Amino acid sequence: MIKKIRASISEKILLIFLMILAIVSLTSYIIIKNKCLFVKNYNPSDIQFNNSQNIAILNAPCGNVIIELYPDVSPIAVERFKTLIRTNRYDGIAFHRVIENKLIQAGDLEFGRRNSLDYGKIGTGQSGLGTINSELESEFNFTKGSVGLARTFRNNTEDSQFFIILEDEPLYEGEYTPVGRVIYGIKVLNKIKFLDNSEYILRPDFINTFKMLN
Amino acid sequence: MIFLRAILLSIFLITPLKANTIYNLIKIPNLEIYEINTKNNLKYFYAARPFRLGTQKNIICLNSNKKNYDEKYKIINQNLSKYSRNFLKIINLKYIVLCKNLSISGIYTAGIPDNIMKTLILDIEFNKKYFERVIHHEVFHIINLSYKELFNENEWINFNKKDFQYAKCSTCTDKIDLNTYIDSDGFLTEYSKTTPSEDMAEVFSHIMFNINISKNDSILQKKKEFIIRNILKVDKTFKF
Repeated sequence: MIKKIRASISEKILLIFLMILAIVSLTSYIIIKNKCLFVKNYNPSDIQFNNSQNIAILNAPCGNVIIELYPDVSPIAVERFKTLIRTNRYDGIAFHRVIENKLIQAGDLEFGRRNSLDYGKIGTGQSGLGTINSELESEFNFTKGSVGLARTFRNNTEDSQFFIILEDEPLYEGEYTPVGRVIYGIKVLNKIKFLDNSEYILRPDFINTFKMLN
Repeated sequence: MIFLRAILLSIFLITPLKANTIYNLIKIPNLEIYEINTKNNLKYFYAARPFRLGTQKNIICLNSNKKNYDEKYKIINQNLSKYSRNFLKIINLKYIVLCKNLSISGIYTAGIPDNIMKTLILDIEFNKKYFERVIHHEVFHIINLSYKELFNENEWINFNKKDFQYAKCSTCTDKIDLNTYIDSDGFLTEYSKTTPSEDMAEVFSHIMFNINISKNDSILQKKKEFIIRNILKVDKTFKF
């Protein structure tokens, strides 16, 4: 005859402890895995804009980044930016250069495409529309969220690549052509994939879509 | 050996990326902001630690102490304030780097101009006696680099006596004294005789520093007129 053995109190406590530990571990794993969990996703249709013709919506992995463009500050650069957005050229393009809490850069239309990423050349690609002149005359404070066009070491080499700064950069004034500023969703950009030991990203995040509001 | 490699690899992998805006802008490491809110929009940086530059790392400059930076900044800023924001933009000068014991391949120099990077590196301890004048001398090199076609060296050489020859380069001779000649004879200093561009820079710096250029020296008068004429071509509103 098999004798039924009852668990002692200490064994029951140990079992409960292990179950709680398993639940906590699983929940933490799910939360940590979801990097977008606490990032607010702004819906542009819920917001009223005064100048909707200059509002652009960049959709990144964690949600929408709403950018106001400044054609009065940099008319040529904003026109180029709008042209590329309206023709969906930025869709599926990598955030190829990311510095944690400092800067994200994207817009290499030649070597930064999701399906044909070229790690050897990324950051050097062009749009095919040619370069445009730098617009550095207007005073512009490069505060957190400012959007500017990237260039080579020389002025007047702006094309399609753009950057968004995640902290104030007073030295950028007069150096880079500003095109606008993030007005909603800056936290989405803090979640773009970065590496600790390189500005250039292996298996980067991509722009899902980039559209003008109107 | 494998263990050592593993340690080295782990150090490499955990080294955090320190994004440095100044380095990204002018490609000089170890700099910090000294002053960026100036009337003529010049941005001053100082070496917080020594730095090396160039493909062979042959340009070296050391950091100095705060007291020294403070003293020299006042002098440099006072002199560079003579140049307007517009003029500095035209000649492509925006960043001033302060450091000490600046040298190229072991040869000490007062400054290194780089109009492409819009930068002038200044040795704050170079020749205390002529420090202020040398600042203008180095500014001229920026102007010259940006407007080489205006400051034609062949035209300049023709101002000199026919039997005179410059040295092959500014460091190819030991005649580098910066004292202004009392009896000028076509040149303001011994250093003027090194190369045409150094000669031009010496004339420009004497003009900017209001040092009298002998009216009896016809060669120097021609050189002075050449500099003034061409600077005004660069910026017709320039005030000497």
